[in-house]
Amino acid sequence: MINAVKLERAATTLPPHGWRLLPMRFHRLGADSVVLTNLVGEHVFVTPDELVGVAEGTCGDQDLLARLRAVHLIQVPGETLPAELLAIKLRTRMRRLPDSTGLHIFVVTLRCEHTCRYCQVSRQSAAKSEFDMTRETARRALDLAFRSPSPHLKIEFQGGEPLLNFPLIRWITAEAKRMNAGHGKDLAFVIATNLALLDDEILEFCAEQDVHLSTSLDGPQNLHNGNRRRPGQDSWQQAVAGIRRAQERLGPDRVSALMTTTEASLDRAAEIIDAYADLGLRGVFLRPISPYGFALRGRGGANYDVERWLEFYAAGLDQIVELNRQAVPMVEIYASIIAKKMLTNSDPGYVDLTSPAGIGIGALVYNYDGDIYASDEGRMLAESGDRTFRLGNVHSSSYAEVMLSDGLLRPLTESIALSAPMCATCAFEPYCGADPVFHHTTAGDFTGHKALSAFCRRNTGVFTLLLRKMRDDPYFRDLMRRWAQ
Amino acid sequence: MLKLKGRVDASELASPLADDVWRVCLPADSDGDGDEGPTKSLACLVRAGQPAPPGYGLYLMADPEMGTLAVPGTPRRAIPGAPSPVLKLGPELAHLSPGDIIHVPAGARRVTVLWKNSARHNALLLTEQCDNYCLMCSQPPRERDDSWLFDRAKKVVTLLPASARSVSLTGGEPTLHADALIGLLEHCKQVAPELSIHLLSNGRRFAGPAFARRYATVGLADIMAGIPVYAPEPGLHDFIVQAPGAFDETIHGILNLASLGQAVEIRVVVQRHTVPVLAGLATFITRNLPFVAQVALMGLEMTGLARPNSALVWADPADYQRELAEATGILATAGIPARIYNHQLCVLDQRLWPYAVRSISDWKNDYLDICRSCSVRDACGGVFTTSGNRLSQHLRPVP
Repeated sequence: MINAVKLERAATTLPPHGWRLLPMRFHRLGADSVVLTNLVGEHVFVTPDELVGVAEGTCGDQDLLARLRAVHLIQVPGETLPAELLAIKLRTRMRRLPDSTGLHIFVVTLRCEHTCRYCQVSRQSAAKSEFDMTRETARRALDLAFRSPSPHLKIEFQGGEPLLNFPLIRWITAEAKRMNAGHGKDLAFVIATNLALLDDEILEFCAEQDVHLSTSLDGPQNLHNGNRRRPGQDSWQQAVAGIRRAQERLGPDRVSALMTTTEASLDRAAEIIDAYADLGLRGVFLRPISPYGFALRGRGGANYDVERWLEFYAAGLDQIVELNRQAVPMVEIYASIIAKKMLTNSDPGYVDLTSPAGIGIGALVYNYDGDIYASDEGRMLAESGDRTFRLGNVHSSSYAEVMLSDGLLRPLTESIALSAPMCATCAFEPYCGADPVFHHTTAGDFTGHKALSAFCRRNTGVFTLLLRKMRDDPYFRDLMRRWAQ
Repeated sequence: MLKLKGRVDASELASPLADDVWRVCLPADSDGDGDEGPTKSLACLVRAGQPAPPGYGLYLMADPEMGTLAVPGTPRRAIPGAPSPVLKLGPELAHLSPGDIIHVPAGARRVTVLWKNSARHNALLLTEQCDNYCLMCSQPPRERDDSWLFDRAKKVVTLLPASARSVSLTGGEPTLHADALIGLLEHCKQVAPELSIHLLSNGRRFAGPAFARRYATVGLADIMAGIPVYAPEPGLHDFIVQAPGAFDETIHGILNLASLGQAVEIRVVVQRHTVPVLAGLATFITRNLPFVAQVALMGLEMTGLARPNSALVWADPADYQRELAEATGILATAGIPARIYNHQLCVLDQRLWPYAVRSISDWKNDYLDICRSCSVRDACGGVFTTSGNRLSQHLRPVP
């Protein structure tokens, strides 16, 4: 038999010190486990000893070196391909940035008939119509919205309870579609509503105009009604009935729900998930309470720390995985956003977990009175007297003045994770985001000190949890891959 | 299984026949249009008892028992006194049918079928030279000058029947002969612009932007380059293809093709070295080459270099189903079409059946005796006859 091998395997392996490190960041996941990430979030799990061997050039484990080469964490001197591929991937990840501002939030009224414990907005009673947005204000806000380069415009109606000003929703929707004839953008509409006021007319409108409904559902009845108070204590009944009607009339994917974690939720993660599954909802967004508005003052059910929330999150995620194993499709939305960042080259641009931050360039908020805010949280801060994130008013500000204002550019540039202290060296930087509003609120500057930041602790906790589960559980890894798409 | 080569009896030839390529036709379909090339390049297939009409450049006698061919009347366009040559086909060529294209070399002792009109796949070999020397190569490279293969391919393209839909251009490494390849592609564009072309290449030459641009500039509507990538990093890939620097060139080549809007398929031969890196390779493709049109995951054909290297490359498909399923899942989830070639359904994880393609060419596939009672035989590609006995130990009829 002839020997058909001309080049021995050893000739293409790496000798000691035969490689160079490419940009590599690492994070300890446990006593014997470290995750290494590259510029775009591709990752490899190693032991601390292996990391030292790779860094010092003494590693002889060819399989490990090959895995690191495959994700461009090391390269052989003289090679150009790894840097070229990294550059392509980074460019792909950033390509959405020039298409700024896809989300436009219209606060069509501040009125609300709920009095939720954790409400972030200084709501007004349902009768005071001076807290409604006018058509003239809406028209000017639309003019600004259509100046955005983004080919996708999502118009989200918020409040208060936006359905209390339903005629304006109807008007804005029609007007936006009329204006879009000359723009050809991909237009989408969402109403963020507690559904208590949902009726046939509104459902008909949503069906005809392809408008989605996003509601709040905190879980089982007693938990939900304890958080979300309204005369008659029937918020849960109203929400559930509304979800069912909407699913029936609009289809199962046209209504989604969000939950807010209060201390009463902390021990009830599985029940909350089951409540969603019982309603046929396919996604749960396990959200911590936000530190703004009423909630910041500590009376809204926010009396828990990050670690306690992370335990809750882990329990909820376990229940979601269990449902999937039983062939009940269910997505944890926050994990799915992170999965996309971990396992693909695209950043979904989720406004609360993206860098540069989502303020202004990811979302703009038009308050009922025409004031423009860089984010929903920025509007809430203003309600309590801090107008840092007010970018102007639709009646007096031009698009250029809004988008190029110091009030937007300073927090954006000062918070970019890739250059922020401690973020720049963090293995999770590709997965994380910049939140200048949070850090302004809690630390007094846009960058914050990450060692003291609850935003950092919470997200580090979530990334660590997701990575450990992916490392240990092939089923979860596969689930994350599906969520990433 | 069809034999693509067969003996012929040329004893009836009045004068030596020049090396040429012919399209087979029946007496009825004389194409109507032919004083020139077409008629001359048509070989008329005459069966027992049929009269042979005049005017064809070549006559093929299907039945070796038939005896002498009678050409009635005086051939109007044939050169007086020199009747068109007649070849008697050996029994292994009884399958020849209209639309097939054959090569009759000078001397006319053997006929090679270059195009089988009824086949799902037809491939034209353009060269046997290659700058890779893959451990499992089924078509080991040869150094000799074989530039005549390009000329022959050109003639085949000219003669293609109207029903021809797709062709694979294969080697060796066709891009080693840049001018000849570009010339052939331009010829395809001219005479068969609708043809779907699958060019099998190691992709290395496309690393040169000038050649990649030449290729793209031909402007064929439906061409895809099928390029092998065997590992997500150079160390293993270069070893498998036995060529240092090959990975770097191949990936650069793929990137160049993509940037020119050219369709690329990635071809992965599943063998002992690639099994452990299949998932890593699939992930590499989703992150670095997400634009590819499809990924073919191919079972070994145990012929050529794969035989002497058998111990080095052989992996029984039954032993790598977990890895194959994971890689397929990674690609499919990322929206990259994955296709599994050359795998018998009985050794393929049932979840992977939707990805399986009946890929083994008609002229080299076969079924074993145990396949007779198999319920999915018709959906299965069978086994490579070229693989001899080197088959999975787990082949069995699916109940």
